[in-house]
Amino acid sequence: MKCEEIREMMPDLASGMAKVTPEIKGHLAGCGACSGKLEEFRKTMALLEEWQAPEPSPYFDVRLRARLREEVAKPQAGWMGWFRRPVLAAAMTVLMAIGVGMVFSNGDGIYRHGDNVVADNDVSSQAEPGTAVGDLSALDKNHDLYSDFELLDDLQVQQNVSANP
Amino acid sequence: MDGSVLMASLGSRPGALQTALAGAEPYTDAEVMLRVKAGDESAFDYLVQKYRRPLVSFMYRMARNSAVAEDLAQEVFLRVYRSRQTYEASAKFTTWLYRIATNLAVNHARDTRKERPEVTVSLDEPDEETGTTMDVRDASMTVEESMVRRERLAAIRGKVEALPERQRLAVIMHKYQQMDYKQIAEVLKLSESATKSLLFRAYESLREQLKEFI
Repeated sequence: MKCEEIREMMPDLASGMAKVTPEIKGHLAGCGACSGKLEEFRKTMALLEEWQAPEPSPYFDVRLRARLREEVAKPQAGWMGWFRRPVLAAAMTVLMAIGVGMVFSNGDGIYRHGDNVVADNDVSSQAEPGTAVGDLSALDKNHDLYSDFELLDDLQVQQNVSANP
Repeated sequence: MDGSVLMASLGSRPGALQTALAGAEPYTDAEVMLRVKAGDESAFDYLVQKYRRPLVSFMYRMARNSAVAEDLAQEVFLRVYRSRQTYEASAKFTTWLYRIATNLAVNHARDTRKERPEVTVSLDEPDEETGTTMDVRDASMTVEESMVRRERLAAIRGKVEALPERQRLAVIMHKYQQMDYKQIAEVLKLSESATKSLLFRAYESLREQLKEFI
């Protein structure tokens, strides 16, 4: 028997879980290193024995019973439970993504409609000045421009306030 | 399964199955679990009564707190109960049980790694983690002897806890749950040879670090 084999068995030998066969005994008698190591392992095992765990408390069964009662009382998942399954949730996500993709890919009409709006605006912006359409369009643009200036003024005032507390 | 029957069963003493076991062929735990699967409520009670102490002890050494240990052990039983319908007796029942327990304990240890205080020694106060008088001083012990004993216990707990995760699990299962190499290997999903080597390294490390107390 080799030292390596004895060492592999040492935890069981030291804790008494494996019997010391005549073969092992023979090796230990002739190998000081293994017999010394086994003795130290036995002492270590005896030391570890001192760490005792407490008994379950008297309330263990009561608490477990209460938790089991809660478990039993839980409503059954039913058909809605399928939606909580990760695989199904992933499948639904993929289906929704495909659906949204189809709407956009087939939704040329939306963009076409948008394009038409732009085209309409372009037509209105190209309207000649002096005409009703052209004047209204110019007023609309100016209004937007003045609004932006007012916003910029507000920002400047605020900066001044913070600069001179 | 009818919940009220299960509750009555868990409260009954002794359970119907235990009474039946007294004069019958012994059932394996896997067979008992198959009876749980089939709706035999007393079978679940039997498993709880059989494994609650070993599981609380296992969890205590993993979580180092008796209240948390009980909570985790109960969670193991709840998971067993939840999985009863899908249980297959392909593996040994204890392997399955300790796999659930190991997963729970490891997750708990990882979740609370930063919250856990160092192992401390106090002469005057009862054990802060168990709340019990586990280390009550023997009348024949001097104060000094009592202090040395507490230091030794703190060192044992500290050194076991400081082992790498797998080594710690293997030592707790081997030393304190009396599980053999094969069972430990199955729970940890290792080869038997790797488990032997893991345990040797773990005990060697403990021997080295605890030699001042030997």
